[in-house]
Amino acid sequence: MTANHRNAGTTRPAAHRNRQHRSPEPMTSPAPSAAPVRARFAPFERLGLALVRLFDPPMRAVQRLVGVGRMPYVFLLPNALFFGVFVFLPIGINIVFSVTGGTALFPSQRPYVGGQQYAYLLDCGSYLEPATCREDHFWRGVANTLKFTIFQMIAMVLFSLAAALVLNRPIRGRGFFRAVFFFPVLLSPVVVALIWKWILQRDGLLNAVLTTAGGEKILFFVDPGWAMFWSVFVSVWAHMGFYTLILLAGLQAIPRDIYEAAEMDGTRPWRTLVRITLPLLWPNLLVVLVLVLIRSVQVFDEVFVLTGGGPGTATMMIVQYIYTTAFANQVQNFGLAAAASVLLGLVLFGLTLLQLYFTRRKAA
Amino acid sequence: MAGLELRAIRKDYGPVAVLKGVDLSIADGEFVVFVGPSGCGKSTLLRVIAGLETVTGGAVTIDGQDVTRVPASDRGLAMVFQSYALYPHMSVYDNMAFALENMGVAKPEIDARVRRAAAMLRLTDYLARKPGALSGGQRQRVAIGRAIVRDPKIFLFDEPLSNLDAELRVATRKELAALHAEIGGTMIYVTHDQVEAMTLADRIVVLNGGRIEQVGRPLDLYNEPANLFVAGFIGSPRMNLLPAGVDAVGALTLAGRALAGVTPGAQLAGEAVTLGVRPEHVGLCAAPEADATVAVDLVEQLGGETFLYASGQADLKLTIRLDGQVGVGRGDILPVRFDRARLHVFDAAGRARPLGLAPRSPA
Repeated sequence: MTANHRNAGTTRPAAHRNRQHRSPEPMTSPAPSAAPVRARFAPFERLGLALVRLFDPPMRAVQRLVGVGRMPYVFLLPNALFFGVFVFLPIGINIVFSVTGGTALFPSQRPYVGGQQYAYLLDCGSYLEPATCREDHFWRGVANTLKFTIFQMIAMVLFSLAAALVLNRPIRGRGFFRAVFFFPVLLSPVVVALIWKWILQRDGLLNAVLTTAGGEKILFFVDPGWAMFWSVFVSVWAHMGFYTLILLAGLQAIPRDIYEAAEMDGTRPWRTLVRITLPLLWPNLLVVLVLVLIRSVQVFDEVFVLTGGGPGTATMMIVQYIYTTAFANQVQNFGLAAAASVLLGLVLFGLTLLQLYFTRRKAA
Repeated sequence: MAGLELRAIRKDYGPVAVLKGVDLSIADGEFVVFVGPSGCGKSTLLRVIAGLETVTGGAVTIDGQDVTRVPASDRGLAMVFQSYALYPHMSVYDNMAFALENMGVAKPEIDARVRRAAAMLRLTDYLARKPGALSGGQRQRVAIGRAIVRDPKIFLFDEPLSNLDAELRVATRKELAALHAEIGGTMIYVTHDQVEAMTLADRIVVLNGGRIEQVGRPLDLYNEPANLFVAGFIGSPRMNLLPAGVDAVGALTLAGRALAGVTPGAQLAGEAVTLGVRPEHVGLCAAPEADATVAVDLVEQLGGETFLYASGQADLKLTIRLDGQVGVGRGDILPVRFDRARLHVFDAAGRARPLGLAPRSPA
């Protein structure tokens, strides 16, 4: 009897206080401090009122015209217009380009060729061997992108996971290190690539260090293996902060008492990681995996600036192929590039559906 | 199964001292309850025993071995958390088996132990479920099951019933008592609920402000509180604590009138003291022999017992417990008398002082 008595006594007042607190506050707070604040914001207030006066009559007219229920669509319209002009229209134009041929720029002047562009792209002796394809550059791009994606995904997940695990521990200067890891994300990929290019090029910083230490220069951008390695490395360096942040949020969502329970259960650190942390982090890891996958299939700017796709075509990715085919080659083959874009778009669409599925399952 | 020894345990968080030197020894097989108000350090003390908190000073000894610097995972204790802290991604079976797997116990042995605990806690039908699919009471039992499969040296309970509703709390309290009777084992139990403390404990440790106020068997604390804090904390409704004085000859005075036959002694002469009398030790009486006359402010009729909340002269506030149903109403004026053998007197420092009375009933 007394047990419930006491408990009710300890829990109820808190809830009570909260509820009471919220309602009277907005009523009482403006009274004492309002005057100076209002004076400071007077110009803004006048501006706001002027805007309201300007937009109110026409919006009211619109509302009378379409009814209150349809007003949300009116507010969505401006954005929908921009979205249509810069997203849906280009997709449509792109599809039109992909089923027409020739070098003319305007769709009206381009002859209809049906699926020929796609057929040309997909015409291969063996899909495992880019050299046997008619458009071998496209397949070289696919192969490079695949290779890049696999290495980058593994490295990205491992490094961001490790970083998140370390940054989740009570280490000294944790806030500082969190900022440091996130910093590269704020940079433009082009800037990142340029920085690393200056470090890695023939007479770059790294080679200067190597020669000073008595070693030989390494021509990183002449060796296909090194070029791919540094492409992956720079990309991971530039983006891992973002994924570290997602994983860190996931780690912090795991209740502390579960770790304490594991400690009481005599769990060794490695087993805690494998049996407790990773399973509970798994939904976040899946989201990170799919996001990394999507981004790495789209990779272009940092690799293009770093290696230019070289040596030869060793680091040429699909997006670079599309860009070169459409705009950089002497003969601008819009049709073929458009067809390649559509294929890439389909892959990305599939991956995005996958990501939505995982995100939704995580929320459920 | 093991005994525990705490010596001068101190715990500071920066400038804030949470435990200010706690000495305590707990015998093998004992059920000890730490009780005290919020922030008294009882949970911290439990976590110090568990090894989840390091101490600032002092030593923790289990079975004669100093474990002060031994991490929680190596102390061989089991803990039931207030939040249960079940592993949400594991089934009930895996939750209970996890610690045994950590210890490297053979699979058939794990299976036998988990099933035995599940049967004891009526969880057999739920072994394949995840904690999320269980009710609060079932989760609570899984948390207890996770502790008992390990056969730990000491069981630690951190307010394990506070997340259950009232009915379930009473039921689980009984189950815990039965469990202790069945498996024995040293158990240390933290609660702010004195009913849990009174009903479960072999010994109660009353904590306040990071210090132990009193240690003893439940009824000893009830009958002979060592100080004002324990007197006010143990017992519900609270003991009546009335400001009183001691006159020149050492007799107790209440509201200026001497209380016949109560003589705390001449050494307290002239001091302000506190007279403690439990609600059930105040009785109705005829006017001539009354110690005080009070007016009833509120009556609580519970059927089997009746509580009167009354007030008298000089801010005298009394809670009175009477057996059965009493025909008393608000505003009634009642002469009351205190049971002489059951009075407590506390000096200005709050310490209990012996009364100059006939000897009290055996403690």
